Amino acid sequence: MAKVYKDLRDFLELLEAEGQLVRVKEEVNPEPDIAAAGRAAANLGKNQPAIFFEKVKGYKYSVVTNVHGSWQNHALMLGLDKNTSTKDQFYELNRRWDKFPVPPNIVKREDAPCKENVVDKNINLFEILPLYRINEQDGGFFISKASVVTADPEFPDDFNKLNVGTYRIQVKDKDRVGIQALAMHDIAVQLEKAEAENKPLPICITLGNNPLVTFMASTPIGYSQNEYEFVGALQDGVPTDIVKSDLYDHLYVPAGSEVVLEGHIIPRVRTVEGPFGEFPGSYSGSRLQCEVQIDRITHRTNPIFENLYLGLPWTEIDYLMALNTSVPLYKQLKESMPEVVAVNAMYTHGIGVIISTKVRYGGYAKGVAFRLLSTPHGMPYSKVVIVVDEFVDPFNLEQVMWALTTRVQPSKDVSIIENCPGMPLDPSSNPPGMHSKLIIDATTPVAPEPNPRETQLLDPPATTKEWEEKLKEMMKNLNK
Amino acid sequence: MKCPRCNSDNTRKMADAPVGNAWEVYVCEKCWYSWRSTETPVVIEKFKLDDEKIAHMGVIPPIPPLKK
Repeated sequence: MAKVYKDLRDFLELLEAEGQLVRVKEEVNPEPDIAAAGRAAANLGKNQPAIFFEKVKGYKYSVVTNVHGSWQNHALMLGLDKNTSTKDQFYELNRRWDKFPVPPNIVKREDAPCKENVVDKNINLFEILPLYRINEQDGGFFISKASVVTADPEFPDDFNKLNVGTYRIQVKDKDRVGIQALAMHDIAVQLEKAEAENKPLPICITLGNNPLVTFMASTPIGYSQNEYEFVGALQDGVPTDIVKSDLYDHLYVPAGSEVVLEGHIIPRVRTVEGPFGEFPGSYSGSRLQCEVQIDRITHRTNPIFENLYLGLPWTEIDYLMALNTSVPLYKQLKESMPEVVAVNAMYTHGIGVIISTKVRYGGYAKGVAFRLLSTPHGMPYSKVVIVVDEFVDPFNLEQVMWALTTRVQPSKDVSIIENCPGMPLDPSSNPPGMHSKLIIDATTPVAPEPNPRETQLLDPPATTKEWEEKLKEMMKNLNK
Repeated sequence: MKCPRCNSDNTRKMADAPVGNAWEVYVCEKCWYSWRSTETPVVIEKFKLDDEKIAHMGVIPPIPPLKK
């Protein structure tokens, strides 16, 4: 049984014991120190630790960033050895994914740490959260790593339609925030129903969660699939603890959240939001977006504010949205195309995707790419799709480059499809939300597609495996 | 005090530091830009706002027609 964390604190303790969390004990400035440390951690490029700031100038509480920001932390989140390879983490996630649904455990209010303290008047976010600017040209202080809980107003008691998602949040006032609900996201479906009747949409913004809750909140799953039931699956069958919101009987929040902001989206109101340094590594401009009125805060004693730095990739967000984009796309393809071996959708939230597949008949690889481009996430996000043979590891970019350099005849294997949906935050999408798609078929031709220069691949010499073990042993002895 | 982004006079204090008098945070009620007194905000030309730019901004998500 894999190790399961009941909350963020539990995970931070493990990270520290594993040498994957550093504590900054001296007081830091909100700007630019916290964001700069997030950038600096990403720049290390290996074994990047979470960074815990004990004291932030002018604030009461602490901040932690880069919690998901390395493959080591990602493996530890899954309860695996920290040196587990990315590909092995992908296959382990796939194995656990199939345990869905694992219904969560609903705990009593008195047993939920997130209810330890209540603020129901004179709400002031600055009293609870050490807010700071992430990137210099951001339009304000952003909450970048919340798990936001909403329900479908048409089916308020349908637990499957309860949505836990990550959306960017700009602090607009002491008790009011802006939220980005792009039309393609689940929250926008729910908001549209509420706004058509001029009703507020109840919302709980939860901060500082069990790392798998945060992971699932940023995973693109089906509208009627419940994120908490996936957390239980990814905990290898162990249910996650949730508790009823104080204000809304149909909303449930993680029992161990550090902070829960309860409120409502104000119907039919849009105000200036942004810019915000976004995951493609550039700023999205200012737009008119929704606002949330915060009516109540519950929080743990001495809450920890967990937030995320986004910069020119790769930074923490790229680790967070890597395998949780790859796995659902793989599952969706595999359903109808069992020949698919693995999907690497780690590049800019699946804008770039590499698929490894067995090719059943001529043109099959292109069909696999079309299937990817018609999945709920792939349709708007994915733009560059590379398909490689089943023996090419899509997580090994050297191997992928080999396939591109030796398997692609550009005149027939490179296709551009015009006028498709695009991801508006991708700065090359124009108008925002429209794009062309690029498919590169880097597989070996299979009949009836002609393969006039069939080649014989080089096989490893007979005793290669034995020699690998022998060399590893010899290297170990060298270090002694 | 003028907004560093849209030059409006419609600005106010949003919050004080909860500990000591370390800083204050200000906000513009026209374009909702906010900044801390310890910052020196330099909004680049590309992100400056005026009435015309605000009037032509995209609306996300679109506001649906009211149900009858």
